[in-house]
Amino acid sequence: MSAARGGGESRVRARVIGLGQAAAGDDGIGLAVLDALRTTALPGDVELVAAPDASALLDLLGGADAVVLVDAVLGGSPGDVLDLAPEDLAQRGAPTFSTHGLSVPQAIELAQVLGDGPPVALRIVGVVVERPNAPRVGLSPAAAAAVPAAAARVRALVGA
Amino acid sequence: MTGERRTIKVDYLARVEGEGSLVVKLRGGKLDSVQLSIFEPPRFFEALLRGRALGEAPDITARICGICPVAYQMSAVHALEDALGIVVDGPLRALRRLLYCGEWIESHALHIHLLHAPDFLGYPDVAAMARDHRVAVQRGLELKKAGNAVLTLLGGREIHPINVRVGGFYRVPTRAELRPLEETLRRARDAARETVRWVAGFEFPNLERDYELVALRHPSEYPLNEGRIVSSRGLDVAPHDFESCFVEEHVPHSTALHAHRTGGGPYLVGPLARYALNHDRLSPLAREAAREAGLGETCRNPYRSVIVRAVEVLWACDEALAIIAAYEPPAAPAVPFAPREATGHAATEAPRGLLYHRYRIDAAGTIVDARIVPPTSQNQRTIEHDLEQVVTAGLDLPEAELVGRCEHAIRNHDPCISCATHFLTLRREEA
Repeated sequence: MSAARGGGESRVRARVIGLGQAAAGDDGIGLAVLDALRTTALPGDVELVAAPDASALLDLLGGADAVVLVDAVLGGSPGDVLDLAPEDLAQRGAPTFSTHGLSVPQAIELAQVLGDGPPVALRIVGVVVERPNAPRVGLSPAAAAAVPAAAARVRALVGA
Repeated sequence: MTGERRTIKVDYLARVEGEGSLVVKLRGGKLDSVQLSIFEPPRFFEALLRGRALGEAPDITARICGICPVAYQMSAVHALEDALGIVVDGPLRALRRLLYCGEWIESHALHIHLLHAPDFLGYPDVAAMARDHRVAVQRGLELKKAGNAVLTLLGGREIHPINVRVGGFYRVPTRAELRPLEETLRRARDAARETVRWVAGFEFPNLERDYELVALRHPSEYPLNEGRIVSSRGLDVAPHDFESCFVEEHVPHSTALHAHRTGGGPYLVGPLARYALNHDRLSPLAREAAREAGLGETCRNPYRSVIVRAVEVLWACDEALAIIAAYEPPAAPAVPFAPREATGHAATEAPRGLLYHRYRIDAAGTIVDARIVPPTSQNQRTIEHDLEQVVTAGLDLPEAELVGRCEHAIRNHDPCISCATHFLTLRREEA
């Protein structure tokens, strides 16, 4: 029961992880992008997974040749779609949301430290959202408008 | 006064649940004041509950915290059942204890390994620590997973479980469904034993505090859902009497309420209090592990709370296994009830300490009034007192080191600011 990449488990070619909570406003952008991806056919070797928080990433960042993580980020103009490498998260100062112990960069780093399988090619598709200041169910107009572009970026990254 | 006044603010306190800030003021080289400020707006859950059907309370209050939703559900259902005059007993009662054990395991495992251990071992965070302590971190994650497995099976999902209701559960598991948990929990119990040994080897600063310790005490069990509220200074009352014995008040620097004993001072809830007041109720295995780890029957060093948490994880694994071994499914998943006009009270033991709920309901079963007192707001003043001692003893330290010590001292109590209001941040500045 490896905490990160299960070396003996079957590998998928590509996994798309949507991170977020639908009841937390723009934090649900990752889930909305997964929904958009489901509306068109994807190659059978691409797996779509929803993750409720960053700690769930520890189990999801292994066992795949490539992983694309879709999440809301702060910094920049709301609606911008960023294509980031893990090291960009800190360098660009693009914080992701997390309230429970692990931030996304920490979860990625921890999964890499603990992982014992072959390395995973990881990209992060970040959608810039406004800093949340009120409870909201569902996406803001700016975030919702960015969903098609984010989905297209994910498709390009997984070769679909 | 120029040159004599100095203010240390820590703007962002990492590795606690939420955000707030710590402001330490020094004057003439001496400590002037310590304020743990919680400035995130309160969330008005108590007002949100007014006008809702009583059956909604466990699911609404579960949303107060993503780490300890079961605690909120348990205090809610027990308080409402107290109002309704029903008793949930037998296998349903046991299943609730099992669910709570799952939450203790996952919450404590997270705090010990991912949040608190880096303080002792000198790492900025768990990812850095994992490079040198890979096995320990993996063990912690396995423990957390075991706790989550209990929550998923009994609660329907691991975050904000949806299967708890007033009177019992929506659905109860069969014996066969519980069986796979046994192997998971046996492995977790071994891991917990190892974790107790691991944390016992940490270095602990010398700090003995004369806390008034407050926890539940049950006639025969280590406390989860039931018991009288007792203290190390002789308090012994029913949960109904909570509000006459403890006072919450607003303080200008925080949006979380501060609590103290009526006519008295601050007090401490949580693992140190539970352990000291219920050491004799631990399982033999947990008591033995505590002894091996060098814990006496009482522990008043807040840094050693990390050992007590590990002992409680071990106990929770033991207790969960005992519950599963004895489990016979109940005839019905819930006890029926009829609404009536009444007020009910309950206190349960959240991982971070005593969690009190009170509800007033009308004849139609609508909530008229609600009161929720979470453990972190009860501990807030006591945490400030810990910080006063830490700062006083560390005035000559380089500032970065002093701030690190303050952060560590706050994490000793695993504050869940999400519950107390929402978020916490720690700030530092020189005047």
